[in-house]
Amino acid sequence: MYEIVFMRPWPWWAAGPALGLVVTLMAWMAGRALGVSTAYGSVCAVASRMSFFSATEYREGWRLWFVLGLPVGGLLAGLGSGTFVLTTAYGELDALTRGSLLAKAGVLFAGGLCVGWGARSAGGCPSGHSIVGIAQGARSSIVATVGFMAGGIAVFNLLYAVFGR
Amino acid sequence: MRPPAVILFGVLFGFVLSRARVTDYDTIAAMFRLGDFHLFGVIGSAIGTAALGLWLLRRAGNHTLLGRPVEIRPKPWHRGAIWGGLIFGAGWALSGACPGTSLVQAGEGKLVALFTVAGILAGTYLYGWFRSRFALPTITPRVQEVRP
Repeated sequence: MYEIVFMRPWPWWAAGPALGLVVTLMAWMAGRALGVSTAYGSVCAVASRMSFFSATEYREGWRLWFVLGLPVGGLLAGLGSGTFVLTTAYGELDALTRGSLLAKAGVLFAGGLCVGWGARSAGGCPSGHSIVGIAQGARSSIVATVGFMAGGIAVFNLLYAVFGR
Repeated sequence: MRPPAVILFGVLFGFVLSRARVTDYDTIAAMFRLGDFHLFGVIGSAIGTAALGLWLLRRAGNHTLLGRPVEIRPKPWHRGAIWGGLIFGAGWALSGACPGTSLVQAGEGKLVALFTVAGILAGTYLYGWFRSRFALPTITPRVQEVRP
């Protein structure tokens, strides 16, 4: 059991339903729609009095608690599988940025900027829109998800076509 | 369920994202190269399972375990979904992460994920500043009808 849960990578047909189950359990037990990106607005709401962040969705206490659990989940998975290690390595991006930590930090920060702006503009991210939103058949969630994928596929392949090798 | 208890679902969600390799840059790269079905399978089956679960919950009257109403509504349609979606996709391609997975990565010990998290916070703040500065109506209505 330990081997299956912690050691072996989960196949898609186990991981996907597990994510859907967490969504369902959270709705059933806490009555909340799982979503991550709004919590970044909640952090801004703590630090800023701007009108945008005064909307009630940024003032719900549970959101910060939820996202606080995410790194803990990653830590438990890392410790359980024995793969936890503090590292600045980041897969194939290391080769693309020629081992420059500064370049990597720049790409990741720029990517984060687009993710943050895009998520607020779209009204959600792959958790709130792509999983919970499409599960409810919401048009905005379907359109946003097509955007996530189309934008991602286009920019990723352009990035590696220009800077790869 | 009191707000602090929701951390439990964050831990579970983060754990599964990590075990599903959604937090692995090379797995995300394989998805964007359309060379690997894994993540499409993960997302697709997550949607299917969540749809079934939320449907069952609605059929049972949309009450939580403690008898409170389930506060889940479909996100309203707005044009921002198009442009925001595309910009988000560009950021996803650059960082190999989204708002949830970047935080999970940080927990896994991937230190550079903190640059992604900082970027997402800055992007969120900039968007809020832009909307507040130009006094545009907020995209998500604060009150919306509950779908039966």
